[in-house]
Amino acid sequence: MNKENILEVKDLHVDIHMTEGLLTAVRGVNFEMKRGETLGLVGESGCGKSLTCKAILGINDRKCVPSGQILFDSEGLGKVDLLSLDQKGKEIRSIRGKEISMIFQEPMVAFSPMYTIGNQINEATKLHITKDKQKSKEISMDVMRKVGIANVEKRYNQYPHEFSGGMLQRALIAMALVCNPKMLIADEPTTALDVTIQAQILELMKELQKDFNMAILFITHDLGVVAKMCDRVAVMYLGKIVESAAASEIYANPQHPYTRGLIGSVHKIGSKKEDRLFSIEGTVPLAMNLPKACGFYDRCDVRIEGLCDKAEPELTEIAPGHKIACFNCPHEACRAQREKVEEALAKGALTQSPSEDPGPAKAVPKKKKGGAQ
Amino acid sequence: MEESAYKSESMHENAPKKPPLEALVDFFKKDLVQYIVKRLLMFIPTLLLISILVFFVIQLPPGDYVSAHIAALASEGEIVDADYAASLRADYGLDLPVHEQYIKWIKDIIWTPTDSTYYRLYGSHHNWKYSFAYGRDVWDVVNDRLGLTILVTAIIMIFQYAVSLPIAVYASTHQYSVGDYISSIIGFLGAAIPNFILAIVLMYLSYKWTGNANVGLFSQEMLQNGVHLYNFGEFLKRMIIPIIVIGTSGTCGIIRSVRAQMLDEVARQYTLTARAKGVPERTIIMKYCFRAAINPTVSGLGGVLSSLFSGSTVTAMVLNMQIQGPVLFKALQAQDMYLAGAIVMVQAVLVVIGILFSDIALAFLDPRIRYSGGGR
Repeated sequence: MNKENILEVKDLHVDIHMTEGLLTAVRGVNFEMKRGETLGLVGESGCGKSLTCKAILGINDRKCVPSGQILFDSEGLGKVDLLSLDQKGKEIRSIRGKEISMIFQEPMVAFSPMYTIGNQINEATKLHITKDKQKSKEISMDVMRKVGIANVEKRYNQYPHEFSGGMLQRALIAMALVCNPKMLIADEPTTALDVTIQAQILELMKELQKDFNMAILFITHDLGVVAKMCDRVAVMYLGKIVESAAASEIYANPQHPYTRGLIGSVHKIGSKKEDRLFSIEGTVPLAMNLPKACGFYDRCDVRIEGLCDKAEPELTEIAPGHKIACFNCPHEACRAQREKVEEALAKGALTQSPSEDPGPAKAVPKKKKGGAQ
Repeated sequence: MEESAYKSESMHENAPKKPPLEALVDFFKKDLVQYIVKRLLMFIPTLLLISILVFFVIQLPPGDYVSAHIAALASEGEIVDADYAASLRADYGLDLPVHEQYIKWIKDIIWTPTDSTYYRLYGSHHNWKYSFAYGRDVWDVVNDRLGLTILVTAIIMIFQYAVSLPIAVYASTHQYSVGDYISSIIGFLGAAIPNFILAIVLMYLSYKWTGNANVGLFSQEMLQNGVHLYNFGEFLKRMIIPIIVIGTSGTCGIIRSVRAQMLDEVARQYTLTARAKGVPERTIIMKYCFRAAINPTVSGLGGVLSSLFSGSTVTAMVLNMQIQGPVLFKALQAQDMYLAGAIVMVQAVLVVIGILFSDIALAFLDPRIRYSGGGR
């Protein structure tokens, strides 16, 4: 594990056991995060973004079984593979909320309606920092002040239904930050908020990131938010990362046809009324019994028949820090990959996709007893 | 030591002493208190409405006690003339229009003046009238079995919840496990088997194994000396069959509904939030899921109470239990309207009290209820 990195995700798969069969929602995701940086994970609904970040915390649904490696540089435990820990055990609980915490999409339902906001924020403090009631209350109130909640003494004892959506998101952020985590996972934190509040919350998160020196894994499908927040961006499609690069690079020089489509479909100020908004044709296929082909094949406008529907491209570095998984790309590394695959296809030797994804037939590790529900 | 001094100081700061009146006003400003007071006030019109309903329903069957009585006499060969019947009706006020009968009835129940004959005879301000069938004061008949009815119902209710809630929590946290299926099967069996059949089977088994069918709530010895602490164990032993018979029929419903609720709650976003905070699984289940999941069960408490009253009647007859159900049955057969009215009324009051308790418990459980009902 690289010393700079706080998190390394290696070949992460998440299988969902459904009555209809096995759905592999995340199919071999690799990325790493440096201390204090913001990585944006972008993709449309159902591409596996949320499952990826839930797998990091081990809070997946019982039916979802992650496999692979998630290495985390923990203060308490040193370098650990989070997936190897008992998902209900003490160790992972000492990381959850303390070293890695998470902000959720809908603040309105993220709090239990039964307990006061203060109670729920303070719960994390009491679990991870101090058992002293007075002290932990003060710490919790401090964080509430920091995220911009006014009149904390009163707000502390109020219930979620007495908060507005924006205030609840602030409270949720306070709850995530109360133990001063080194890493924050933000799962579409502004999707449920209106635009003015959204800007405030993003600003707040940036400020707090500086104060706390946190790494943020920012999950979103909003490219505008990514441009504002992220240092690096990874674009996910159908359970795989198809392109990753520095945020500025992604906007200036998108290489994967899916990324280009995504950026093209953002509404631009100043565009004419008659211009139709660009949209990517078709829908995401269901990640069940996938053929050995590029997942984007059906919707791609630069697909190569006989190649893209026969093999799956691997993530290849085309420039420092810029990786892309596509056969139809003029860069040298991609061409080399394409030639290799074409050669293999011509020989008929290739029965497996080069990404070594055996697909649904893969032997799934038996459901661990301690798997999180 | 330092810390406690600091604490008491800060507490003093937070709550400076107020004059008693102001403190009282503050007390009534609390949402929960307002809610409870409001519910208590609702109690009175509810009971009045129930009494009207009860009285008219009891009046609905054609004929009255006098006609039933005369029919009985006639069947024995006695000839009764119309004048006698009319004089009987006049004596009991049965010849008045229904609404006047009702007003007289409810007025006497609420307050019988000190100079009335009734007060001189019984020393009570609440005249529940005369039971024709038993030939006694209605309240005496009701009172005989009231305490026992409440005790039995309470024990059965506690049993129901004590059994079904842990099973429901287990079943929901171990969904589709063997234990889940077993609890479902037992629950369904309990709900599906008619109470009286189960009662007879259990009595038979009890007789076969212990030589004692354990019929009735009291042994001979208890009937002579009364129930005391030393023979309370025997009483509880005799409660086992009624508890199982009446209790199991309700547990199924509670298990199913709490289990379903729990499964709902476990899938909620805030459960995930709590887990992401590092809260132990046990705490998540008890603090977040269970408290929310028993909400509908608590609100159904009043309903459970009334179904226990009616559901226990047949069983009580089979098991010869000295509770109110069989008395009500007899009163209805004999068209003994004052007795039937009194029993239904008493049970209604108990149910309303049960609902009141459940509402207050709900308000404790769920802060949102306090606010919507708090009258702000």
